[in-house]
Amino acid sequence: MRLLSPSNLASDFSRHLRPAAHIAMLRREVLDSFLRSRAQSQGAHLLPALLTSLSLPSSPLHPYLLHYIPSGAGAGAGPATSTLAVDVVVGADGANSRVARCIGAGDYSTAIAFQERVRLPPAGMAAYADLAEMYVGDDVSPDFYAWVFPKCDHVAVGTGTAAAKPAIRRLQAAARARAAPKLAGGVVVRVEAHPIPEHPRPRRVAGRAALVGDAAGYVARCSGEGIYFAAKSGRMCGDAIVRIWKEKGRVAEADLKREYLRRWDEEFAGTFRFLDALQRVFYGSNAAREALVELCGDEYVQRMTFDSYLHKKMAAGRPLDDLGLLWKSAGSLLRATILGREVERLRSL
Amino acid sequence: MASLSPLPTALSTLSSLNPNNNRLPSGHRHHLSLLPKRTLTLSATRSTDAEGGALDSASAVVEKKPKAAVSADPEGKEKQQPEAVAAAAAGNGAAVKAEMPKFRDPRWVNGTWDLKQFVKGGGTDWDAVIDAAMLHGVGLGFRADKYGEITYEARRRKWLEDFPEATSNDEAVVFDTSIIPWWAWIKRFHLPEAERLNGRAAMVGFFMAYFVDSLTGIGLVNQMGNFFCKTLLFVAVVGVLLIRKNEDIEKLKKLLEETVLYDKQWQATWRDDSPTDSKK
Repeated sequence: MRLLSPSNLASDFSRHLRPAAHIAMLRREVLDSFLRSRAQSQGAHLLPALLTSLSLPSSPLHPYLLHYIPSGAGAGAGPATSTLAVDVVVGADGANSRVARCIGAGDYSTAIAFQERVRLPPAGMAAYADLAEMYVGDDVSPDFYAWVFPKCDHVAVGTGTAAAKPAIRRLQAAARARAAPKLAGGVVVRVEAHPIPEHPRPRRVAGRAALVGDAAGYVARCSGEGIYFAAKSGRMCGDAIVRIWKEKGRVAEADLKREYLRRWDEEFAGTFRFLDALQRVFYGSNAAREALVELCGDEYVQRMTFDSYLHKKMAAGRPLDDLGLLWKSAGSLLRATILGREVERLRSL
Repeated sequence: MASLSPLPTALSTLSSLNPNNNRLPSGHRHHLSLLPKRTLTLSATRSTDAEGGALDSASAVVEKKPKAAVSADPEGKEKQQPEAVAAAAAGNGAAVKAEMPKFRDPRWVNGTWDLKQFVKGGGTDWDAVIDAAMLHGVGLGFRADKYGEITYEARRRKWLEDFPEATSNDEAVVFDTSIIPWWAWIKRFHLPEAERLNGRAAMVGFFMAYFVDSLTGIGLVNQMGNFFCKTLLFVAVVGVLLIRKNEDIEKLKKLLEETVLYDKQWQATWRDDSPTDSKK
């Protein structure tokens, strides 16, 4: 993984990778269908449909009613809208979650992630065989980063922003310009855009309905990582429901909050808060981004970042090295701020 | 100075630039030339997305155009998107290229400043290193004072902020600001600010000491032994350090708010709100 600053200072993250460690690049279309078929093989009933609405129960003893339009194999035969009565609902339908809207989970502010899949000629793909790039700078995103991620036989070039959503196409053009020589001869085969939640919803559990993943707003700041947290929260929620059923036979809101939400917050809220602080400090201005890239060349930073990233837990570093890192961060930020002020002074000449 | 030689070329290519250097002109034009070609590509591939076989023919058609444009491109100086080149070849291309010369300086070698070229007397002229980027700025604001590496780096960063350059694997930038020793930074930037802050602290301290003395009769030495007075002193010093301009008060308040906001958003689910206002 290479991190490139606005002035093209590059920090190569893979210099201090442990032998088996890696940063996974995945194609959602492949992962999603894999997860679905695996659930089905484990005994889940797959019902291809479009959820139109969810009727809330009138009492703890009444079921939730899901109204859906079936699609898939036997769709044409039956009625247009069917209803399914369920005891517990787990909303995993992503950032535009219909379940969240129906249970009144509240709203969150979102960023937009815009991505183009570009098919490169073989020489171009060879350069990206084991290289992923992240570009930071005001030209590609005022509060996030642009990326070039290899996806097996093509690359995904994209950028994201929360503060400048109307300008996303300009930012995307700038992202492609930054990687231009390496994308030469490439053809855009798909364009995708999706909202990315910036923080959790005000209510993640309402009644006997729980939200997981993007629907709940579990996207880490700074890296924008949500796939792991979606899968993990889904698993934790499922485990919690099974545990409650075994103990009490019936799920109540308080049980869900205690078994799923409380455990989730205890395990991950700290990580999320730290990444939020990182994003606020280091993505705030071009000067701070230069400092970030400079710091990322440090061996301790790379090792700590990898350990934390691979295990999704704030890695416990050595206190003396942490102090050294704090000192280096302060130094880098200071120097970068001074340079930033010089840039402003020169601009006003 | 030997380093003046790159200047004329830089100036001549920049003569068409708007001296009130804003990002719009070149970036905007670049953007315009990109759009029409991109939609073409999109519609060609989207419509054939479902049928895999047809996709190959569509992409083959699109690929031919960029190749033709690249070979027709006389100066390979500007690294542009193939799509942009195809549309830019229609007429915009030359103008766009002229406005974006690459960052060049004889002292910028292999992605960093070559310190051997900044020798003055016996050692390195850190001020010259600080000012290095001035030669490759916009061309206006060319100042005749001492040059040093920090301002050179500032110039290079300003240049790249205004005209972001594509990265390339063979011209990697490896400049690390920590190669400039700490005392060079302090001498150049910290001392004036430190002078101002110390002056303010001294003025505030003197008048506070006089004021407290006139109110309570406690002299300076006895004030330092009093806990309340020591607290006031601490507040004064911290205040002078943090609040340097009037706007800083608002900035600090906003910063504090923002810091706790994310945590509040996480805790929102635990606050017991009444069932009636669940639809927010």
